[in-house]
Amino acid sequence: MSDRNEEAYVELKEINKHFGNFHASKDVNIAIPKGKLVALLGPSGSGKTTILRMIAGLEQPDSGDIIIAGNRVNNIPGSERGIGFVFQSYALFRYMTVYDNIAFGLRVKKVPEKEIRERVSELLKLISCEGLEKRFPSQLSGGQRQRVAFARALAPNPQILLLDEPFAAIDAKVRLELRTWLKEMITKLQITSIFVTHDQDEAIEVADEIIVTNQGKVEQCGTPQELYSSPASSFVAKFIGNSTVIKNFDRFKYFEKAEEAEEAILRPEFVAVFKKGESVQYTSSAEKAVVEDIIFRGSNLEVRVKLYDNLISSLRSINEPIVEIGETVDVFIYRMFLLNKDRICLVHNQSLKQESVVI
Amino acid sequence: MEIRKNNGPLKWILIVISFLFLTIFLLLPLIYILSTAFRQGIGAYLVSISDEYTIKAAMLTIKATLWAVAVNTILGISAAWCLTKFAFRGKKILSTFIDLPVTVSPIIAGLIYVLTFGRQSDLYPILDDMGIQIIFAVPGIVLATIFVTFPFISRELIPVLTAQGTDEEEAAALMGAGTFTIFRKVTFPHIKWALLYGIVLCTARAMGEFGAVSVLSGHLRGKTNTLPLYIELLYQGYDFTGAFAASSILVLMAIIILILRLVLEKKGKKELDIKK
Ligand SMILES: Nc1ncnc2c1ncn2[C@@H]1O[C@H](COP(=O)(O)OP(=O)(O)O)[C@@H](O)[C@H]1O
Ligand SMILES: [Mg+2]
Repeated sequence: MSDRNEEAYVELKEINKHFGNFHASKDVNIAIPKGKLVALLGPSGSGKTTILRMIAGLEQPDSGDIIIAGNRVNNIPGSERGIGFVFQSYALFRYMTVYDNIAFGLRVKKVPEKEIRERVSELLKLISCEGLEKRFPSQLSGGQRQRVAFARALAPNPQILLLDEPFAAIDAKVRLELRTWLKEMITKLQITSIFVTHDQDEAIEVADEIIVTNQGKVEQCGTPQELYSSPASSFVAKFIGNSTVIKNFDRFKYFEKAEEAEEAILRPEFVAVFKKGESVQYTSSAEKAVVEDIIFRGSNLEVRVKLYDNLISSLRSINEPIVEIGETVDVFIYRMFLLNKDRICLVHNQSLKQESVVI
Repeated sequence: MEIRKNNGPLKWILIVISFLFLTIFLLLPLIYILSTAFRQGIGAYLVSISDEYTIKAAMLTIKATLWAVAVNTILGISAAWCLTKFAFRGKKILSTFIDLPVTVSPIIAGLIYVLTFGRQSDLYPILDDMGIQIIFAVPGIVLATIFVTFPFISRELIPVLTAQGTDEEEAAALMGAGTFTIFRKVTFPHIKWALLYGIVLCTARAMGEFGAVSVLSGHLRGKTNTLPLYIELLYQGYDFTGAFAASSILVLMAIIILILRLVLEKKGKKELDIKK
């Protein structure tokens, strides 16, 4: 676990929220240290936006405490919680220019116009949108809109920045650029930030810590590595990584004696695919399988093989000898997660143990 | 756009039908109104329209219209606002009730007020003690006009407000803007054209209202006769010059509103093109 002694800056304690009969947040507990960039990751409808909106004061929880900088803020209006919010669709004021959009929060606070001018031009520089101040939101590209929304949220110097699916509305190519840009910005500004996403790659790449939500519950909080190596629930195990669920795992060689379990999860990194005779070490304990599909993934190839009716993925470097579809290959499975209700354990290939005993 | 280039006979048939229709149903009656109004010479026309009762009726119509527009602008914005920006119990019912005035016959609308405020009502003695007379008096006419024109503004606003969503308002509120600032800076620019258009429709309808007002007015010449009621009265009294002269005032007012509408539509569209 990461350093849990760090003092939490934003904290949700035992939060519950209903919409009519629908239980949208169930006993949510979250603690976010100051200056961290945290992702709320979960499938669509899992309650991520609801959590974000409660922190911002746009929704009231039915029960539980919201604590910011040590103070319970449940009864403090959102505008006094020191929060900047970037909406999913940006919600830029479409009848105002870029300048007026960014200046809005400062004007409301009655900041002198001279200071506003300085702050806005400073922010325009930060988001590399100098010269666009007279444009209306409709005259901007998706990426520019997102950055203006970011600048508008930052203008009044909030302590916390909340972003709801900040990259969802942007096309794939620009999205990658913006991810990196946003991470750099937030790291530079040292502002405690929480962003919502349903894309695990995005969360893993950008966030210091990830909070996984599912059906209104928080499944796990941790660094991306922790979620990868020790998932706390079967949901997390299945959701994170390129996971394949396997029912008949007991048919796999050297996993027969695996303890009581309902299903197992395999990830590409748990599996190795060898051409015939390529590996000496694992030949005896490997299984024979046929290559069903090969997908080019840039720096490597995803090879899918059929094993006991399961389509299992593995990665091969493009520098290794080429395998072809229909080819019979050796498949060695190093380890798998076994799921039993919500208990998870990582089991290793028994042959590895035996060999180590022999050697 | 193949169909636009089609210069076949269909195009001309449709154009001729449209113009024929407009001529028979609109232009001809209009010409007839004006020619009847001027039949006995321009002098008689001027005498008719400067007739004391005609002027009083016109003033009352304008008064009732202004009241209806003022009240319905405020009520219409409030209703449209709460229907689109908040979730609450009874929203569906409110939304349905807003439409009631357009579905109910104006005569019934008039009768509703007679029953509510008339002599047989429990409210009558109370109002009477306070010296307030509603039935067969100006307040009744204003009430009836407000009632029949109520949906026009809110119905124009609701689609616009629904399309806009609540994000922009929430963003403004999170930055500390108060309700009034949010309305002025964020919501109003958005609904401005729809609102003006609603006001135009409301005005046109209020000026021409006959049924509900007729029930409530009592037809007191110079006191509770609006222009449409007075026209009817003159017409029944075989004063055709008077009736059609008074009609020409109403027509003139309608044309002004029509032109206003055209201008607003054009301006609104231009702005939308820039901002959308
Ligand atoms: N204002 C609301 N009224 C009713 N149901 C809502 C409301 N907001 C969210 N929900 C419901 O709560 C669930 C969680 O929504 P949300 O927090 O937006 O999920 P996510 O952001 O993870 O996709 C959804 O099923 C949604 O339908
Ligand atoms: Mg969401």
